[in-house]
Amino acid sequence: MNPSRWLRLCGAAFLCAVFLAGLFAGSVTQYSYARQFRESPSAAPSSVHVFGTDNLGRDLFTRVLYGTRISLLLAPAAALLSTVIAAVFGSFAGFTGGWMEKLILAAADLSMALPLLFVLLALRAWLPLDIPPLVSVIATFVLLGLLGWPASLRVVWAAARNLRNSDFLLLAKAAGCTRSRIILRHMVPNLRPVLLAQFWISIPLYILTEATLSMLGLGVMEPLPSWGNLLRGLEDFSIVRANPWRALPLVLLVLSMISFQLILPAQEEIT
Amino acid sequence: MKGLIYRAARRILALVLLCLLGGLLGATLVRFAPGYGVDERELDPRLSQQTLESIRASSRANSSLLAYYRQFLRGVVHGDLGNSQWLQQPIASLVRERFPVTLRSVLFGTFLAWMAALVASLIVSLFPNFAIEVSGTLLTGVFIALPVAVVAMLAVYTGAPVSIAIAAVLFPKLFRYLRNMLAHAYAQPHVLAAQARGIARGRILSHHVFPNVSLALFALLGVSLSMAFGAAIPIEALCDSPGIGQLAWQAALNRDLPLIMNLTLLTTLISVGANWLANVGGRRVL
Amino acid sequence: MIARSLWGGLLTVLAAGSLAAQAQSGGELHFCLHGEPKTFNPILVDDEASENIRYLTGGVLIRLNRQTQSLEPALASSWEISRDRRTITFHLRKGLRFSDGTPFTSEDVAYTIKLLMDPQTHSPTGDAFRSGEGTVDVKTPASDLVAITFPAAIAGLDGLFDQVAVMSAHSPKKEMAVLGPFFVAEYKAGSYVLLRRNPNYWKHDAQGNPLPYLDSIRLDIQRNRDIELVRFRKGELQLIGRLDAEQFERLRHDDPSAARNAGTGLDAEELWFNQVPSAPLPEYKKAWFRTTEFRKAISSAINRDDLCRIVYNGYAKPAYGPVSPANHFWFNSALESPKYDPKSALALLARAGFKFEKEILKDSKGNRVEFNLVTNSGNASREKMAAMIQQDLSQLGIKVNVVTLDFPSLIERMTRTFDYDACLLGLVNTDLDPDSQMTVWLSSGENHQWNPNQKTPATAWEAEIDTLMREQAGAPTDKERKAKFDRVQQLVAEQAPFIYLINKDVLIAVSPSVIGTAPVVLNPQAFWNAEILRLSPGTALGAQK
Repeated sequence: MNPSRWLRLCGAAFLCAVFLAGLFAGSVTQYSYARQFRESPSAAPSSVHVFGTDNLGRDLFTRVLYGTRISLLLAPAAALLSTVIAAVFGSFAGFTGGWMEKLILAAADLSMALPLLFVLLALRAWLPLDIPPLVSVIATFVLLGLLGWPASLRVVWAAARNLRNSDFLLLAKAAGCTRSRIILRHMVPNLRPVLLAQFWISIPLYILTEATLSMLGLGVMEPLPSWGNLLRGLEDFSIVRANPWRALPLVLLVLSMISFQLILPAQEEIT
Repeated sequence: MKGLIYRAARRILALVLLCLLGGLLGATLVRFAPGYGVDERELDPRLSQQTLESIRASSRANSSLLAYYRQFLRGVVHGDLGNSQWLQQPIASLVRERFPVTLRSVLFGTFLAWMAALVASLIVSLFPNFAIEVSGTLLTGVFIALPVAVVAMLAVYTGAPVSIAIAAVLFPKLFRYLRNMLAHAYAQPHVLAAQARGIARGRILSHHVFPNVSLALFALLGVSLSMAFGAAIPIEALCDSPGIGQLAWQAALNRDLPLIMNLTLLTTLISVGANWLANVGGRRVL
Repeated sequence: MIARSLWGGLLTVLAAGSLAAQAQSGGELHFCLHGEPKTFNPILVDDEASENIRYLTGGVLIRLNRQTQSLEPALASSWEISRDRRTITFHLRKGLRFSDGTPFTSEDVAYTIKLLMDPQTHSPTGDAFRSGEGTVDVKTPASDLVAITFPAAIAGLDGLFDQVAVMSAHSPKKEMAVLGPFFVAEYKAGSYVLLRRNPNYWKHDAQGNPLPYLDSIRLDIQRNRDIELVRFRKGELQLIGRLDAEQFERLRHDDPSAARNAGTGLDAEELWFNQVPSAPLPEYKKAWFRTTEFRKAISSAINRDDLCRIVYNGYAKPAYGPVSPANHFWFNSALESPKYDPKSALALLARAGFKFEKEILKDSKGNRVEFNLVTNSGNASREKMAAMIQQDLSQLGIKVNVVTLDFPSLIERMTRTFDYDACLLGLVNTDLDPDSQMTVWLSSGENHQWNPNQKTPATAWEAEIDTLMREQAGAPTDKERKAKFDRVQQLVAEQAPFIYLINKDVLIAVSPSVIGTAPVVLNPQAFWNAEILRLSPGTALGAQK
């Protein structure tokens, strides 16, 4: 087998394994993610607790598994949402040009400069305090997706602008294709490398942003775990030195990101 | 010549209007965000009713957004950007002290990230090799998964400047974009034809690949400066570096309306200005 | 030979003197402020960073000894308080000067009091002295005598002067001319404050050597506590006040000589339920929160020992009342310490009409007992406590939703919208005297958190507390005041409007190169005796970074 194909299979297998383990977490682990074994906080990995315990004595393996559901499902969904929005607006701006192009680019630049932290705070204020944690998490990721498009729009726009005067687009125009058809059927497929890059970059960004958002009252609330909140506290290296198993969620995140990157189709296969 | 001046003037006017709009929108977001107008000192049991009332009155001082904005515009014409409610110092002097710190970190960090990303993506493109490809994938996978807080603390522990942390955060994103752009460019028929004709790699790169991607590169440059400024905020806050990023973070936590408005204006200026220069640069190259 | 021995003797004497001088004086102490100081004007101080600078630079008439918790003469060599506790007369030390050489007289005290009590100044320090309607009268019959008369009696009057740094009425440097051991020499916003020794400081040590020993103190502005600890370990800093338990534990493991536990502190962590009648909560929830048995059951069901052990690594003690045992005089030692007892909690709830069936608690009308618990984000200890409380109460069938909010949003809910069920926060006690907490205990007070700003007391026990607090403020002796405040503590324990959880230990890091430290529980815990701190010779002579 071709080595890169082999690697891609490994990546896909890893992601499937992690995803399935998360989905069937209840069958994989005997513990609840909230249960605190107070006699053994920050315990090292053992036969009883495979990944050890966190500082409240909760089984880390169980929390990683349940956290996978949130992070591996919702972060890619948010990344997809923001990438789609960037694709639509970016390609539209790049193809159309004129004042519409300027307006969209100005809106993107403005969005990047605004303190959108306050939009997130307003969302927290608007949501009742006792909504189910899952609803809060979903709302958070949807908002992240809706707000995360400006960063990638410029790059998509530049690539789209490059294609504006390509022969195949001119041919499509001459053939009488509508603007939307040209953009969706001819332009966007050629923007795939840029879009895939953006999608891939956004996933860990949203996983990590979710951890920061829990500081605002959004994101995942106790006792629900997510990879983001499992990673909080790792910036204190002496904690990691004293309890190295606390870095296992980070290892899992890194392996997942590498797997995502491996399974995205290589450029030569697209063209 | 006249046309050039006219176009430049129009762009500058558009830039100024956009910045002012950014400032107003930023101020609006702050003004209507939860927690605006409250002060931590209200929880101090030692304060008398009169003192609490005066604290609340000063919080209410900017409650009419349009009135505040009018006052701000009048002041800015005279170079007065107002006073920070939280620090109780003139904003102009705060920005003057802190902006150079951030600018240095951001410019140097962006430069480092670009150099590293360009070199890495060129190696991967010019020497397509399974081992090199996998190494690139692993490296960027590790960097992109590292939380900003971990990167910042690594910088503190190793004594590295903030610019290194910014470069570490930017590098994987730039590498990924550049890698894909170059891969796409190298897959173009005319490049394949040039390679088939035995034209030197360097010449293919400079004459066939680079012109194709230059507009996207310049766009990416503009975006990367914005991303770098965005990354500077949490990194400076975590590293306690006395720059604009730390100021912005603290201003947000303290709901300091005048300071946030001015900083939004500044970041809009930088963001739009960087992208505009990137566009101009791209067009010049083409 | 005689000359040689003379020279040898001279050299020995010089060397000894030099060594003594090196051990006694010189050098720069380096530690951090955790925020930007907002002001150097001592009467406008209301943040921790400014308060620390005021402590190091301000000269006060009476100083509270942080170690013995008793008052000592400072700029005033003695003082008297009138029987009606409205007038205090100070006998000032003679011949003292401000840091810029301006003489110190009773005029400066009069000037300071005038500024302090000016309603336009809105001095937070001055608020403690506002006893009633009317103006404050200051008489200066002599340059070393000043008598201050307040409109009404003030409880603990002399102790309040510990916070009043005297300002010069005549110095061109205004508030920058000081009487304390140090003065502000440099300030770079966002970066550092440099304090230098005040050459005119009035104090001397027992041998007659001028104080302070240190040449200077450099205070870096550092918000990030992890970075602060890293810098301490690298030797860039010599002191850290108030480490958290996890940092302390790690430091103790790596460098036991640097980790110092000053004992149980004054601060407490507490939880309360929202009893505001106009709060946007369902009526059934308001009924739960107003029920004393409900609150006491919650208190019984929380395992405080586990909170101390797990969240604070054992560096905390369970708390049951508003006053920490570290407050030697005001603590009511007769108070019972209820034990962790989920069974008795369920019994209390049953008495109040709640039913525990199939692992779910419901009230008498069949509503599931569920409430949100808000706390401020960014405080890891509090977030952990909230998670543990959530787990403890699940044993009673109560569902707790933990919500962390950024501080301004939290304050808005607590003080404006009252849109929350229960709140977990900390109580920072900077004063020993309960009079400083009037607005907490009076039902009409702004900080009567569970139900502030009441027009009339909502309950009989709150009315009793109102009466007791007013009586203790006017009581003629401390013994009578204590008796009344003991009764307040008793009522609070019986009614549990605040559910006190723990009193944290005061954990400090001190470099072995600093000589003379004696960490205490009162602010500023690590450097309260800065004037007698010294650096070991190696550090003093050139370890400055």
